Amino acid sequence: MEILLLPFMQRALLGGIIVAGLLAYLGIFTMLRRSSFFGDSIAHSSLTGVALGILLGIPPILSAILYAVAVSFLIPILRKKSQLPIDSLLGIILPFSMAVGVILLSITPGYQPELISFLFGSILGISWSNIYLMTAIACVLLIFIIQFQQKLLNISFDPEYAKILGIKVHTVDTMYHLSLAVAIVLGIQLVGIILVNALLIIPAATARLFATSLKSMFILAPMISIVTTLIGLYISYFLNVPSGPTIAVVSGVVFAGSVIWKNL
Amino acid sequence: MKSILQIENISVRYPRAVESAIESITFELQPKTITALIGPNGSGKSTLIKAILGLIPYQGKISMYGKPIEKSYRDIGYVPQRFSFDTTFPITVEEFISLTNTHKDISPDRIQEVLEQVHMLSKKNAALSQLSGGQLQRVLLARALVRKPKLLILDEPEAGVDVGGEQTFYNLLEKMVEEHAMTVLIATHELDIVYRFAENVICINRVLVCSGPPKKTLNQQMFTTLYGHELQFYGHHHDNDERIT
Repeated sequence: MEILLLPFMQRALLGGIIVAGLLAYLGIFTMLRRSSFFGDSIAHSSLTGVALGILLGIPPILSAILYAVAVSFLIPILRKKSQLPIDSLLGIILPFSMAVGVILLSITPGYQPELISFLFGSILGISWSNIYLMTAIACVLLIFIIQFQQKLLNISFDPEYAKILGIKVHTVDTMYHLSLAVAIVLGIQLVGIILVNALLIIPAATARLFATSLKSMFILAPMISIVTTLIGLYISYFLNVPSGPTIAVVSGVVFAGSVIWKNL
Repeated sequence: MKSILQIENISVRYPRAVESAIESITFELQPKTITALIGPNGSGKSTLIKAILGLIPYQGKISMYGKPIEKSYRDIGYVPQRFSFDTTFPITVEEFISLTNTHKDISPDRIQEVLEQVHMLSKKNAALSQLSGGQLQRVLLARALVRKPKLLILDEPEAGVDVGGEQTFYNLLEKMVEEHAMTVLIATHELDIVYRFAENVICINRVLVCSGPPKKTLNQQMFTTLYGHELQFYGHHHDNDERIT
């Protein structure tokens, strides 16, 4: 229990609870919309935002948020103009944006430690000011999404019927993508660009194995996410291994164990 | 009598398609009537329904009581041909119907009532994934009816439902329509349904082929025009009416 007295661990636990809960909540909609690849693309694309921030001397988290939001707006426009299937489009955007990010970082002296921390997360090195910023952004996002939850659920389940219900599908969709982009960038600080999708998808997928109603899904997914994140942080501290990958591994193991348990 | 739905010269062409999916279709629906929309596969029935609902771009004019259809959504119920959503997702029947309550004007009692009407009240806490095709279709009917629509549009609701489920569905629909005096437009490939329910029939095969009361409109010549020579007209007596089998 002495790890709870360590200031960096206090920050990590608090940040973990906030971001893991938020991403798991949004992950329910992502899973319902079968758009897991969207989160991955936004995460990978945000490396360019990070690189631009480092290059221009502005906080990388802010530049990453701005870039991720821009990409989330760009994707529907490109889809309409190119008429390509969404997975093909995301398959183009993901490597392109990540490659641009790596090139931009390569022309910035001393980028290596930054790159690794953004690729795999650095929650143990997070500052109190960052925690305050994350908390504020997460609260705004949660209030925002909860306001639109029913409309978003309708769109996620059945976009055609949502339109007949008089829901402004495009507007609500845009708000969702914007919120998802911001939440993913927050998650990058926790587990990094490569692994953030684990926090978005795995808890919702695990919850789905046990949930029998929408209500139970909304309770179980954030709960599973927070518990696996805390266990991951605890294990990473005692084994002295990177926290982001440990959280992702714990989430994966819990999911695999759940699948086995359900099929016993 | 003033018509409830006016369809004027509707054409739909999908992007990059060589020809229109439907071309210059015009008809009207009178209030509290049941109209069947028939035509062979690929004739444009679903396209026409999606255009009426404003779900796809179209040329022409569609209005309900003289207003654009988008301003009349509150008065429209829709039962789609198949589930476009993931029915394995954990959501109960009651939660699913409650999703339609976007304006917070549907009471829990109304949801119970409509579930009872479609004989699904005992399944209100069941997950959608536990339901049969016929039960799911009744849930979709409940979703369409919960807002007490003036116009109910159904797009081949029998698709993917077994014969027993289909009969139950149509018996319920018949009862609902009688009780609530709705206007109904139903796309179907079940000609028996046309004779049993519909006061009017609209036949399309990209273009409007015929319209009018089924007994007057449907004959061998019409079926040959619609379906080619594969479908034969057999006159037999059932409730003293001539039927198509």
